[in-house]
Amino acid sequence: MGLIGLGGMGKTHFLNSLRIKTVKVVAVADTSRAACQFAKVHGVAKVYDDYAKLLDNPDIDCVAIALPTFLHAQSAVMAAECGKHILLEKPLARNTREGKLIVSKVQKAGVKAMMGYPLRFSDLARIKAEIDGGHLGEVVTAQATDVWRGPFFHLPVSDWWLDPELSGGGALIDLGPHMINLLLWYFGDKIASIKSQLGYRFNMPFEDYALCMIKFKQGTLATVNVGWYCQQNTISIELFGTMKRASAALTSAKSWSRILHTLRVKPFAESLAFYRELNHFVNCIIADRDPSPSAADGLKDLEVISVAYKNQIRED
Amino acid sequence: MSLVSLVKADSSSAFKKAIERSLSLIGFHFPEGLQRIAVKPNMCLFMDYSTGQTTDPKIVAALIDCIREKASRELDISIVESDTEARKFEHVSTFLGYKKMSQEERVALVNLSEDRSQEVEVKVADHSYQFLLPDTIRNADLFVNVPKMKLHPRAKVSCALKNVYGCNPCPEKSRYHPHLAEAIVGMNKLMKPHLNLVDAVIVQGKGTRKLGLIVASSDPVAIDSAAATIIGANAKKIRVITLAAREGVGNMNYKAAGESLESFAKRFPKRSTVDEIRIKVNKAVLSATKKAGLNAQSF
Repeated sequence: MGLIGLGGMGKTHFLNSLRIKTVKVVAVADTSRAACQFAKVHGVAKVYDDYAKLLDNPDIDCVAIALPTFLHAQSAVMAAECGKHILLEKPLARNTREGKLIVSKVQKAGVKAMMGYPLRFSDLARIKAEIDGGHLGEVVTAQATDVWRGPFFHLPVSDWWLDPELSGGGALIDLGPHMINLLLWYFGDKIASIKSQLGYRFNMPFEDYALCMIKFKQGTLATVNVGWYCQQNTISIELFGTMKRASAALTSAKSWSRILHTLRVKPFAESLAFYRELNHFVNCIIADRDPSPSAADGLKDLEVISVAYKNQIRED
Repeated sequence: MSLVSLVKADSSSAFKKAIERSLSLIGFHFPEGLQRIAVKPNMCLFMDYSTGQTTDPKIVAALIDCIREKASRELDISIVESDTEARKFEHVSTFLGYKKMSQEERVALVNLSEDRSQEVEVKVADHSYQFLLPDTIRNADLFVNVPKMKLHPRAKVSCALKNVYGCNPCPEKSRYHPHLAEAIVGMNKLMKPHLNLVDAVIVQGKGTRKLGLIVASSDPVAIDSAAATIIGANAKKIRVITLAAREGVGNMNYKAAGESLESFAKRFPKRSTVDEIRIKVNKAVLSATKKAGLNAQSF
């Protein structure tokens, strides 16, 4: 495997790869000297400052792309054309036009492309079995929440985060894909209507919070609550069925578990989802199965977000 | 003995009156013939006033209204802050609402890291330190420090003294961290505010509390000593305060006027031994994860 981008997410994939026997990171591409040094210190054979060179390496079967959003289309298309399977961080792209380009190139090249949606491998995924098994009755309403500090936690804040031309938007396109993907997975991709209201608490040229209301054709009315304004991390799902309620939440790692992680003793709660995600991607390549969530799923999520941006409820 | 005033200001509509009363209680009058004024709020983080970490721009706007009313309408007012490694002035001033407020109030926003400056040597505790003195502060007839009152992991209390350190135009501020107390005191010797007006409306102590308070003094050491008492710390054990007092920046002995200081101090419980241990463990974990090149929160 080659890692394209060795920031926070790239490092997470790298560390988890050390725990999976069937994959080995043989090359890293990053423009940052510190990131390249990190890769060298951890024994990565090839370190490139240009991902095009990494993609030329015939020893690489697959890549994990963890670059800023404005580089997703360019890098994923090049990776597909070089015949590499792709694990791509969310969102798929800045807009549906770029997203469609990625999906079509991936299909044409016949490579596997999976979205980096760790929540699909977390406790929030377990609710799917409860829905499908009918334990909740019919789910009438659903609340999906992903609220924290977002890019303002990672200091220094990279300039691309603050430029919607480069990021594709604000909190909705950043956090929305996680929650919308879960909802489409739970309730299907037939949607009757999508509406949104965006918030600009921090006076920036992008929304720092958003509420979306999605009515599914099978009957469920869901709200997606995303934001970059809260010092406390909350990632949760709450479903209200005609029989009962179900909920799941992801909580922040405690100090002791961070220590364990740092010492690489074992993966813990939050990291476990990323570990399972990478493991699923690798297993799908080995067994020649289609990974889920796929890039095509990522495009559906992006289409929902695109409609949400268009169908804003205006205060006036 | 210095005077420190404490005045209640529960909502933004009360800020202007509270500022007027605060200044009256400490006997502060705007000097005659004012032309250039520099105002330094705390814009240190991408966390707005409601988190207790940065100064509320509405307080700065109310202060500007007061200055214009009491001194003159024709003033050259600059709101100042500098870049740091962690955030750029341009972004943080927009994020926190200062860009919008400066347009509404028709005042300048000045990035001190881009301002012309002179290198100046300052002696603190028999050691010499080099700092840059920005022209906007050097040329100001009135320098008003508008800090946020809060706990600080390194300086213990972040209030008037620490906020002046933010005028350091050098973006690589972490290079001063091994001698942070000396650097803070040195900056305060170099650029002494004429007035310190503290946003203690929402305060980050052990937890965030709404105190609804404006605190004022012309002495930053006195105000920081009062701030320490309010947030449950002992000023005598805070090096930056004791060093500043020794270096003649101000006086740790103060007389409080207005609201009772003790009634606010009760709002913040003192740190227990368990808290101290927890803080040390957290620091060690963050340091270890940073050393390993990891971002702890991304896991």
